[in-house]
This record gives sequence, structure tokens and C-alpha cells, in this order.
Amino acid sequence: MLERNGDVVCELRHVDKVYEGAVPTPALLDINLQVRRGEFLVVLGASGSGKTTLLNIIGLLDTPTSGQVWLAGRNAADLSEEERAALRSRYMGFVFQFHYLLPEFTVMENALLPCKIVGARMVEQNRNRVKELLVRVGLGDRLNYRPNQLSGGQQQRVAIVRALANNPELVLADEPTGNLDSKNGFAVFEMMRFMNRETGTAFVVVTHDERLAQEADRVVVLEDGRIVKDEIQRPAVTHEL
Amino acid sequence: MIDRFSFSVAIRHLLYYKGQTLLTMGVVAVSVTLIIFLGALIGGLQKRLISSVTGAIPHVVIRQPERKPIAVWEVATANGVLYLGERVKLQQQKRKIEDWQSWEARLPTFSDNIRAVSPVVEGQAFVNRNEKRKAVTVVGVFPEKHNGVVDIQSKLVQGRFFGLNGGEAVVGFKLADEFALKLGDKIRVVSAEGNVGNYTVAGIFDTGFSAVDSATVFIPLRDAQSLFGVGNAVTTIGLKLQRIFEAKDLAQQIALQVPYETRSWMEDNQQLLSGLRAQSQSSNLILVFTTIAAGFGIASIMITSVVTRLREIGILKAIGATNRQILQIFAIEGTLLAFFGAIAGAIQGVALSLALYSIRVQVSETGRTAEVFPFDLTPDLVIRAIVIAVLVGLAASWYPAWRAARVNAIEVIRGG
Ligand SMILES: Nc1ncnc2c1ncn2[C@@H]1O[C@H](COP(=O)(O)OP(=O)(O)OP(=O)(O)O)[C@@H](O)[C@H]1O
Ligand SMILES: [Mg+2]
Repeated sequence: MLERNGDVVCELRHVDKVYEGAVPTPALLDINLQVRRGEFLVVLGASGSGKTTLLNIIGLLDTPTSGQVWLAGRNAADLSEEERAALRSRYMGFVFQFHYLLPEFTVMENALLPCKIVGARMVEQNRNRVKELLVRVGLGDRLNYRPNQLSGGQQQRVAIVRALANNPELVLADEPTGNLDSKNGFAVFEMMRFMNRETGTAFVVVTHDERLAQEADRVVVLEDGRIVKDEIQRPAVTHEL
Repeated sequence: MIDRFSFSVAIRHLLYYKGQTLLTMGVVAVSVTLIIFLGALIGGLQKRLISSVTGAIPHVVIRQPERKPIAVWEVATANGVLYLGERVKLQQQKRKIEDWQSWEARLPTFSDNIRAVSPVVEGQAFVNRNEKRKAVTVVGVFPEKHNGVVDIQSKLVQGRFFGLNGGEAVVGFKLADEFALKLGDKIRVVSAEGNVGNYTVAGIFDTGFSAVDSATVFIPLRDAQSLFGVGNAVTTIGLKLQRIFEAKDLAQQIALQVPYETRSWMEDNQQLLSGLRAQSQSSNLILVFTTIAAGFGIASIMITSVVTRLREIGILKAIGATNRQILQIFAIEGTLLAFFGAIAGAIQGVALSLALYSIRVQVSETGRTAEVFPFDLTPDLVIRAIVIAVLVGLAASWYPAWRAARVNAIEVIRGG
């Protein structure tokens, strides 16, 4: 179904992004980036440096002005709207700064949403796994709670499990700790690191917090839309599949 | 294909925002109640009006064309000679149908719209009793056959109509009052032809039609044949139809198939018909506007719902929900709201109509009652109201659903 292309889960080739408007704003300039399987990559950069733009382009939420995005061995430019949606639900997971759980669904149901989008079979395949993940992030006794009955940190942990629900190759997280105090933020970050090691899913995490960056396998620093530093700190965990 | 994911999100959302859900359903319910209530009331009023003209007469009557006296010079005979007596003969001939038995058997095969056929011998006569004298219409019938065309049996106040024997008569209650008739009393009837018949009153009816109740006497067909001297013939054949508004067309069609003249109730009631048509049109107009108002109600609440849920929609799209799935969420919500609102409205509308329908007042001294509000509540009307509501719900959610599908996930996520 989805081709898993060797060790590279996602690749950007000469990606430029210019926001058109009264004054065209360049947000990304000649970005070349390969995210490898199982890698935990942190993106650092000042406000306005293009981090969110980068993540949106990888996540197929936005299209580059020029350059190519390759996911699952396919050029994103060749994909139909349906195929892009399918990639987002099956190949990738998303964690946003504001947790964005659906208030009318329980913790368990929220975590299973990506599976529900794909279909009933996907739900059956992943139900136990998702439950297991919720237990592991410490929400085993909160499965039937509503999001508004949880703390911010707990909600973000549900969002992380949701991002992992379909056992994706890649999780994209835009300042997942930005809305939490430093203690909770660190706990959530640790949780992602842990999930990355457990599941072998690659993570691209945007943060302002340099302290968290030290935990990453690889750190990419953006400045005015350019990659000014791309440093591998330690080899990524690899899972034999 | 209904997407399961969209369906479950829609259901969950409707249940979670109960207030909004009930409000929308209320809008639909009120309009469906109104549609059913108005539809049934107007239908009932029209039925009452129509039955006030067709209740006591056959829908179509077949009879011999009137024979106009013709001048001597208009008559061309084989040998060119005309005797004076012939003109007189034509004038006096009673309009009659000799071969009625074969037509009675064949008429039902002419159209599935013909529900009953009744051969009738009808004529003018005087009723005499104790020095009193009154002009009446005497109608000779086979009671069981005639009752299929004009219902008398269920309108009986006393006695019987079915199984009428020779020498027996059934009269209206006003005529009975006038002559102080009881069951078993005798009346003497003298026809315009000068024949005399004596009959025993076997039944008294109250049809609610003054002319019928005060001046009609039913006797067996055979007795009428001798009273009016028509031998074995009848004077008319009456038809009862299933779809009474096709009476005119059917009458015209039958006229081509039988060697007689036909006349339908519609030709005698042109004005009533055009009045009914105008009434139908104005009631349809009310229903259309009610439906449109309900549609806008659903649409505006749904648009509000889309706006307040922009974040959710954005997030669902970001994590892989397709435009089609988002579109379906709102289409399903609109349809469900309309459907359940319509069901609630249908129950209300039916209950209201039945409650008002059950109010009855006495309309005749014989104790006959009639409903104050003549509702004509048909399953057809209820189903139509529900179907219309569901279609309107679907249509009204189309724009909100389209708006939702167009939500840009990035803007929502950036919005924070
Ligand atoms: N929709 C847009 N239209 C115009 N310019 C935009 C738009 N979105 C972002 N930009 C601009 O693009 C640049 C990069 O924005 P981006 O949101 O990617 O930065 P960021 O690194 O995520 O910042 P932060 O850390 O504050 O979230 C900024 O200069 C921003 O003003
Ligand atoms: Mg950002």
C-alpha cells in the first residue's frame, strides 16, 4: 500500500516557501533535509525563522513555492487531495501546541481518531495498542474521561498517543511543550523520546527550549528560513522490521 | 456511501451539544407540525366542501339525451310523409335506458376508477297522506347496489334500507316529520304519469342534505318501474368513482363508449372547483414558505455550528480526514436533525389534528354529530411532510458543509 522507502521517511529538496501577499514574505530558503527512520530530530530557531512553515510543508498541510517534498517514496506534488489525506492519516502523526482534542469524545476515542478516519478495520487493529500506549503515558485510569476533565499536560499526552495511533513512520510536533510549564513540558518531551525508542517512529519536534534539544538525536537550527546548523548528536535507534 | 467516521462524529456532536440539537430539531418540528396540521385541515375542509355537493349524488350519471320536440319540417322520413301524431309521441317518451343490464355489467370494466354502479328509476311524484300533499323525488333502486354510489344505509335513523321489499319505502327524516310518519305507516304516491303506489315506511334516514332529507323517497327498482311506467327500463345509471376529480374526463370518455349522454358532478360545480383550486394554491404557498423558513433555520444554526467548530474541523483535516468526510459530517448532521425533528413534528401534528378532530357537535335533531375541524389526515401527507423536511435538511446543510470542507487546517492551527 504505502511504500516504505529504505531509511528515509521524508525528504525535502531545495524547498523554498514564499508567502504571497501585499509584501511577499520568504519563509524558507533552499531547504534540503532528510529525516531518517527512527530519528528524533529537534528543530530550533527564533520566532519567525520558519519552523512551523517547515513542519506544515512536511505534513502536506502546505505546499512549497518551489522544490520537492518526498514522502513514502512519492513526490508530494503528484498526489491527489485524497492521497495527501491518506498519507496524513496513515503515514504521519501530528501533535500541536494547543492539544486540540475533540471535546465530545473521550480520551480513548480521541486517541483512536486517526484510526477511525481510516476505517473500522484500522480501529480494531490498533485498539489494544492505543490502550497500551495510554496506559504507558499514565492515563490508564482516564480512558473514559473527557478532554476538559484533564490537565494540559495530560491532554498533550493524549495528543501524542493520538499521533501514534496508526503506527506512523513520522510524528510532527510543533511546540508540543510550548503551552506547558517547564516541569510538565519536560515530562511530555520525555514521553515522546520514550515513544520514539519504543516504537521506532521518527519524530520531528519544533521547540524553543535548547535544554530539550540536548535529548535529541539530531538538531536542526533555522535562521531566517535557512538551515544554519544540522548536527547529529547520537545515532538514531533503529528497529529491525 | 455514508462514511462511518463522519457518522460517528456527527452523532457524537449532536449528542454533546444537546441544546443546539434540540433547538434545531424544534425549528424543524414546528414547521412539520404546521405542514401536517394545515395540510390536514385544508384537505379536510376541501373534502367537506366536495362532499357537500357530491355526498348525495352519483359522481357520474348516464342517461338518455333529452328528446326535444322537433318541428314537422325538420323530420325527414323515408317516404317524405309525416303524420301529425308522431311529434306528440316523441315529446311524451320518457328518457330511459332499456339495455341497462348489459351496461351495468360492462361499465366497471371501462375504468378502474369506477367503484360502484347503480341503475336507477327516478321521477317526480306526490306523496299523499291525511289530506297533506307534497312533491317529492321518487328514486327506485336496488338498495345494496345504490348504497355503493350514495350511502343511505349508514345514515339510517330508524328501520332498514338494505333488503327493502316490494311495497316498502325509505324516507328522509324531514319528510317523516312533516307527515308525522313512523315505521310501518302507509304513504300513497302518485306519479306525474298518474300511476299510484302504496308503500309502507320501512326506514327513515338523515343524510344532512336538506333537499334529500325533506323530499326524497326510496323504493325498490321494480316498484318504481311500474310507478313511472317504464317497463323493464331504468332512467339513469349512477356511478361512484375512486378519484372524483377525474369525473369529468371519465364522463367524457364513457360518453364515447355508450349510446347515452353522461354528466359529471364537476360540470355542475365549476365555481366550487375553481374556488378549491385557489384555496389549494394559497395553502401550498403557505407550506412552501414554512418549508423555506425551516430550511433557513437549519442552515443558520448549522453555519453557527461550523464557525464554532473551526478548530475541530481543522484538526480533523490535519490528521487526515478528507474533504468528503468533513462534508459528510455536516450533511449527516443536517439530515439527522431534520429527520428526527420531522418525526417529532409529525407526532405533534398528528396528535394535534386528532385531538381537534375528536371535537364533535350535534348538527341535526336526529342526534347526528359532525366534527368541528374536518381534518383529512392521510399517511401520505405525514410521509410527504417528513420526506420534504429531510430533503430540506440535506439542502440546508449543504452550504455549511461546503464551508466546513473548505476550512484551511493551517490557519486554524496557527490561530492558536
Ligand atoms: N500565512 C502567512 N502569510 C504571510 N506570512 C506568513 C504566514 N505564515 C507565516 N508567515 C511568515 O513566515 C515566517 C515564518 O513563520 P513561521 O510561523 O514558520 O515561524 P516560526 O518559526 O514557526 O515562529 P514561532 O516560533 O513564532 O512559531 C514569518 O516571518 C511569518 O511572519
Ligand atoms: Mg511556529
